[in-house]
Amino acid sequence: MTADPYAAAADLVARSAAAYVSGVPEDPADDGFFGPASVTWRVSSDLASPIAGLRSLLMQALHPLAMAGVDQHSGWRQDPVGRLAATSAYVTTITFGERAAAEQAAARVRRIHDHVRGVDAVTGRPYAASDPALLLWIHGALVESGIAAAQLFGTPLSAEDSDRYVAEMVVAAELVGVPTALIPSSLAELERYISSVRPELRCTPAAGESMSYLLAPPGLDEDTAEIWADVRDGAVAALPAWARDMYGYHAPEALTPSRRTEIRQALGVLDATFLGEPGVLEARQRTTLRTRAARRP
Amino acid sequence: MKARRVKRPIAAAAIGAGAIGGAITALYLVRRRIGTLRFARGAAAFQLVARGGLRYASSAPRLFAAAGENRQRLRTDLALQTAEDVATTLGAMKGVMMKIGQMASYIDDGLAPSVRRTLSRLQDSVPPMSAELAARVVEEELGLPPERAFATWDPEPIAAASIGQVHRAITLDGRAVAVKVQYPGIAETIAADLGNVSLLRRMLRVTAPSQDVDALIAELRDRVLEELDYRREADNQRLLADYYDGHPTIHIPGIISELSTRRVVTSDLADGARFAELAGWSQQERDLAAETIYRFVFRSLYEVHAFNGDPHPGNYLFHGGGRVTFLDFGLVKHFSPNELRPLMQMARHLCVDNDPEAFRRSMEAAGFLRPDAPLSTETIIEHMAVFYDTIREPGPLTITGDYASAVVRRFFDVRSPVAGYVSVPRSYVILQRINLGLFAVLGELSATADWRAIAEEIWPFVRAPASTPMGEAEAAWQASRPTITESLA
Repeated sequence: MTADPYAAAADLVARSAAAYVSGVPEDPADDGFFGPASVTWRVSSDLASPIAGLRSLLMQALHPLAMAGVDQHSGWRQDPVGRLAATSAYVTTITFGERAAAEQAAARVRRIHDHVRGVDAVTGRPYAASDPALLLWIHGALVESGIAAAQLFGTPLSAEDSDRYVAEMVVAAELVGVPTALIPSSLAELERYISSVRPELRCTPAAGESMSYLLAPPGLDEDTAEIWADVRDGAVAALPAWARDMYGYHAPEALTPSRRTEIRQALGVLDATFLGEPGVLEARQRTTLRTRAARRP
Repeated sequence: MKARRVKRPIAAAAIGAGAIGGAITALYLVRRRIGTLRFARGAAAFQLVARGGLRYASSAPRLFAAAGENRQRLRTDLALQTAEDVATTLGAMKGVMMKIGQMASYIDDGLAPSVRRTLSRLQDSVPPMSAELAARVVEEELGLPPERAFATWDPEPIAAASIGQVHRAITLDGRAVAVKVQYPGIAETIAADLGNVSLLRRMLRVTAPSQDVDALIAELRDRVLEELDYRREADNQRLLADYYDGHPTIHIPGIISELSTRRVVTSDLADGARFAELAGWSQQERDLAAETIYRFVFRSLYEVHAFNGDPHPGNYLFHGGGRVTFLDFGLVKHFSPNELRPLMQMARHLCVDNDPEAFRRSMEAAGFLRPDAPLSTETIIEHMAVFYDTIREPGPLTITGDYASAVVRRFFDVRSPVAGYVSVPRSYVILQRINLGLFAVLGELSATADWRAIAEEIWPFVRAPASTPMGEAEAAWQASRPTITESLA
């Protein structure tokens, strides 16, 4: 943990914002791997995307080997905010960046992964971050969370758009080195894949600890903590029941329309805070303009 | 904060208002009349559109800038094209925060820097509606598409306005007008979000740590809800335009009632220099402009019992010689005689009668001070006096930016021994905040005047003769208008 957890928490927005801004190019040479007409851009811009992000971390951490790699190598305890910001920068670059920028970022991640190997203390199994099976889990959890969060708290995707989104995102897994044949390319395939991994999942102590940090970042001031609590409740509500059970989280209160509205309002406040960071508005406007241009017949 | 006789702060709102205030002697029955001093719609400054033709001044972009100045450049390329776009941009609390930011922008000192930045960016983040979307709202409201409801309709908005935007047009009978059009669905969205009181409380606790947050929220909700219905704005503007009809320096564009509805408000088009341009004007001109603003605010309060809650610099247009056009009456607070009387008494007891004990009692009666506060009257006066400094003694005084900030700092000073015993009752919350904003504007102008002398002209318990040339012109205007007064004192 950092010496000043409050500063660290306050930093979270600033550093995620800086990561986001740097990932959205100003005068792109190409549309990158997705482009303004993609469902991927829409999902990334959805109000619910913080819930998608939080939910995908919750899902990803349930894989003991993936979690062990993060726990033993990423130094998240020393700089949890920096770790999150790095992840968010990567996702933004892959999503909105030019092809060259996305490829560079992916190459960098692959190089880092090459050195991330070890033995998971809990299962006693060896792991390597470059293992396609682990990479695929990270990928699948991310994609499925985007759909689940939009469904509950954002603008839900149609069945057709969900399929498109899963298919569009195949390239993201390819970029980090997952063989194409392994990557789900429709919602049904993705769901089957997630079920197939379930027997391997469990909440290790490292997963419990890191997710506790994330769900209730220490040192937040009371008001921010309450807003964060709404976002957290949203992410927990969006989890599959079996994943909640693994963590031992209580079943969330019923997601009534008014509770859903409250969570969306908290997301709005969070979004406004994000928008207050330098460059975020301009970056959003850049993507909006490109999306508009792409929509034009 | 040095040089000329610099005092500390000015009145914090309610308090300041009380300072100038005084008895509301008059309940003027406002009536339409034709004054000889009419500074009017026909005056050159406002007559920028030739009848029958759409020849706007070359300075078109700054026409009737409503609330637009510094708030956002109109990004038509980002225009909201559908009601869903509006919901995405202003839903989920963001419209509410934008409104709060608009009000809070006068009290920068009370905000954490990050909150200030967030609120101001939110205002920048709202693009205009596309021409088609705006036209659809006009048609829904007026029953005709804009090209038929008006002789000429400019589909390009000229300014952002509160939760809407402003278009120029010429009416079928040839009047050049500004038409404010509300974003579709925004009223419903904001009204729903205002229901989340606990989230509002969290947001506002940040902005006003020492205030009664529940009172602030309740008042804020009422004001914002009112603002969502443009008919109320039209009523307010009509009331003040009628009252100031013929005034030598105060001009309020008239409302065209038959073209004003819940989401569309049509008023005469006005042009003039923007606040930012005043920086290039002589100090004498700036002093005159400040005098007009000052007279407008306190005359409105004590004679119309209404206080324009949006003294944003973008809501003034300047014409030289102290003549000012006032725009945007979406946020007007009306006061009852009972609400105004204590303010008047406080000012009177402190500044005129010099009776500290009576001042203390009137503060308690107004609910500003707990009756059982274990504080000496001397301590209370010491804490409160800064708010009255400009008007306790006669003589010219310059209001500087530092000076205005110091008032705000005192207002938010939680360390003062008095802080734990003072509070702002709900009816004065907006007044309190806006008054801080007014003095911020005067501070920005580095305005010099004998504020006490002007106050004495307006204080109903003094009603001193004119102290300045503008005061003389105003007295002549008043003498020429029939009034019905009703003493409250």
